[in-house]
Amino acid sequence: MSISSSARKPKQVGTTAMGEHTAAAPITLSERSSNGLALLRIFVGYLWFQQLFWKLPPTFAGLYAYVVRESQHAILPGYGTLLQHSFLAGCPSLSTPTGCTAFVPLAACVWTAELVVAISLLFGLFTRFGAMLATILSLQLYVGLTYSPGEWIWTYGMLVLLALFLVAVPAGRRLGVDYWLAPRLQEAGQYHRLARIASWFV
Amino acid sequence: MQALRRGLLAGFLASLVLAMFDFVTDGAPGNGLPSILHWFGIALADPTLSRWAGFFLLIVLGGVVGLIFGALQRDKLITAGRALLTGLALGVLWWLIFELVLTNIMNHASSPFSLSFGRFLSSFPLDVLFGVLLGAIYVQWQERHAAEAS
Repeated sequence: MSISSSARKPKQVGTTAMGEHTAAAPITLSERSSNGLALLRIFVGYLWFQQLFWKLPPTFAGLYAYVVRESQHAILPGYGTLLQHSFLAGCPSLSTPTGCTAFVPLAACVWTAELVVAISLLFGLFTRFGAMLATILSLQLYVGLTYSPGEWIWTYGMLVLLALFLVAVPAGRRLGVDYWLAPRLQEAGQYHRLARIASWFV
Repeated sequence: MQALRRGLLAGFLASLVLAMFDFVTDGAPGNGLPSILHWFGIALADPTLSRWAGFFLLIVLGGVVGLIFGALQRDKLITAGRALLTGLALGVLWWLIFELVLTNIMNHASSPFSLSFGRFLSSFPLDVLFGVLLGAIYVQWQERHAAEAS
């Protein structure tokens, strides 16, 4: 059994001087490699899962200090200002979220997104969707925190790369729910547009 | 017999993944493993011994649940959907028995079903994951053996 990242035919790459097309040999993964990738996916999912517990609802207080740091050390011009006028709007103090008007609803969105990533990667359920969401969340962390004091610049870079890796490979199709879901969505995708779109995310 | 053996091995492997999570935890590796002994009222004074005993008990419990999974299949070839659903159900049962009822009884909680959001979140998804892994490993093995046999 082999896994390919796309159901499409392999593209022809490279052209010789004579104008002949040479097709690159398709890459297939062995069962062991596929299961190894699935284990990697599960542990990355567990990484996200663990990070839910220091910013639990209803206050999400653990997140506050990080949002403040992001607003002060973001590498993207204007990103700090954006945070100050959204997450930190109306906050009377930089040490506690008490009194902030928008912090709790926005922090709830972040927390929920991280929960979705964790569930998606742990269970291999719409894994590529979870990995895309993880990429966005990691990029946001990279922009905000990479150059803040005490941070190793590769920490968030590695998070981004791990997430991108899981977007590229269908890691949920072994040891995950996508194993059951993928063939069904691909079959249904021949007749239903929604199923075809959903099949991109497994 | 084939289903029982496959279930047993799938149970061992699924619980091994669960045990490995405890080696990437805060504090010291294996910090959460003594709580498995606590489900049965066992407490060991030596922390290292306690962690290893918890680890082996988890693997054994995983094997037992895997045997139950295998027994439920009655040596028939099952679909991936059925394997995942049966695994999921066993994962929920694992959570209900060990993480909820036994933990509450051993902690002398007011009710065997008392639960906080944090405790639910930290235990339920991982126990369900055990079940899903059990089902997934089982059905992958079944398909591999079927492919080899044909």
